[in-house]
Amino acid sequence: MAAPVDVRNEPGKLEFALDVPFPSSREASIALQSLSPDREPRKGGISKLLTVSGSTLSVRWTADEARILRVSVGSFMDNLSLVLETMEMFGPPLPQ
Amino acid sequence: MTVVIGFEGSANKIGIGIIRDGEVLSNPRRTYITPPGQGFLPSETARHHRGVILTVLKEALEQAALTPADIDCVAYTKGPGMGAPLLTVALVARTVAQLWGRPLVGVNHCIGHVEMGRLITRAHNPTVLYVSGGNTQVIAYSERRYRIFGETIDIAVGNCLDRFARVIKISNDPSPGYNIEQMAKRGSQYVELPYTVKGMDVSFSGIQSYIEEAANKMLASAQCTAEDLCFSLQETLFSMLVEITERAMAHCGSQEVLIVGGVGCNLRLQEMMGVMCKERGAKLFATDERFCIDNGAMIAQAGWEMFRSGQVTELRDSWITQRYRTDEVEVTWRD
Repeated sequence: MAAPVDVRNEPGKLEFALDVPFPSSREASIALQSLSPDREPRKGGISKLLTVSGSTLSVRWTADEARILRVSVGSFMDNLSLVLETMEMFGPPLPQ
Repeated sequence: MTVVIGFEGSANKIGIGIIRDGEVLSNPRRTYITPPGQGFLPSETARHHRGVILTVLKEALEQAALTPADIDCVAYTKGPGMGAPLLTVALVARTVAQLWGRPLVGVNHCIGHVEMGRLITRAHNPTVLYVSGGNTQVIAYSERRYRIFGETIDIAVGNCLDRFARVIKISNDPSPGYNIEQMAKRGSQYVELPYTVKGMDVSFSGIQSYIEEAANKMLASAQCTAEDLCFSLQETLFSMLVEITERAMAHCGSQEVLIVGGVGCNLRLQEMMGVMCKERGAKLFATDERFCIDNGAMIAQAGWEMFRSGQVTELRDSWITQRYRTDEVEVTWRD
């Protein structure tokens, strides 16, 4: 019997997109740098890309399964809201 | 003058402390306490930390009477510990470091304990016994590393105590270990338990399952009291720790012992270690619960040493890690 061939390509994947507006590009880039250093805890099946354009933080997920996607998006929301609260209480950024 | 703020949250304590050249300016802390019979799980612990961390940060600044502009460096626990709580604390540390335009320093939690113990007790070059809910290590400094001479091969000594407390439903407030210590004072009968020292290492998981079974049987038939079991468990575990500490001292020719970590504030452990030290003509150093138990100032202190010796952590390298051995860190601040 021939080895099974993986026929799933990018089109077969689930995607999730999130755009978060910030007061300035400086704050958007602070959030990006606070939220990007850690890798996804699970090894495969999901990828997450964070980018900043102007004062908007954009996040794009692609995943194999809805379950994994939901967990990743959920914990990202928790982390994002903590970063936003921190900025509200201890911001705005000091002039450099 | 160098002012460092330290963020700690690798287990069920969240603490933020500020240190200015060896002086503790503030060190507020909160503990996530679970009901009797229950341990703390990563996601619930992280939720607890998220709920209080910004209040604790405000307190740390207010008690130190400082503004963010006075802070020179932001230190945080990089690991080891539970992933979700570590991440919660790292997120806030990264964000304020950027808001305030200050460098970040990722600290090894175990090294935080060692450096805080050295600062408070002024011990010069001690053999260190680091005992807590997550770690059990005998450590000595040699050639730019804190070397691990002996350690647990399974669970930590504090985990053995915590799990026993859960089995017989001892309160977790203020901590299971503290309540076991108080009950042990009223124990009179020694119940023999396995004694498992293996060379320089120790093992506690067998003792834990043995006493769990013994507790169910012996308490039901009134052969002994819960107090007797607390007493017997402490005597056995602490004897093992004293034995491996003494052996490490003999290896290193050391005349100082420093006990750090949450279990280190147990006065019976300090007493037993004191007897051994006296017999060898050595000196024992220990701290109280403010600095033994996880706190922010210990991360600030290790961060202060690291920062002053030129170490900083770039944001892209500031990921947290659940596993992070004490001897992975190059000690750039000692000769």
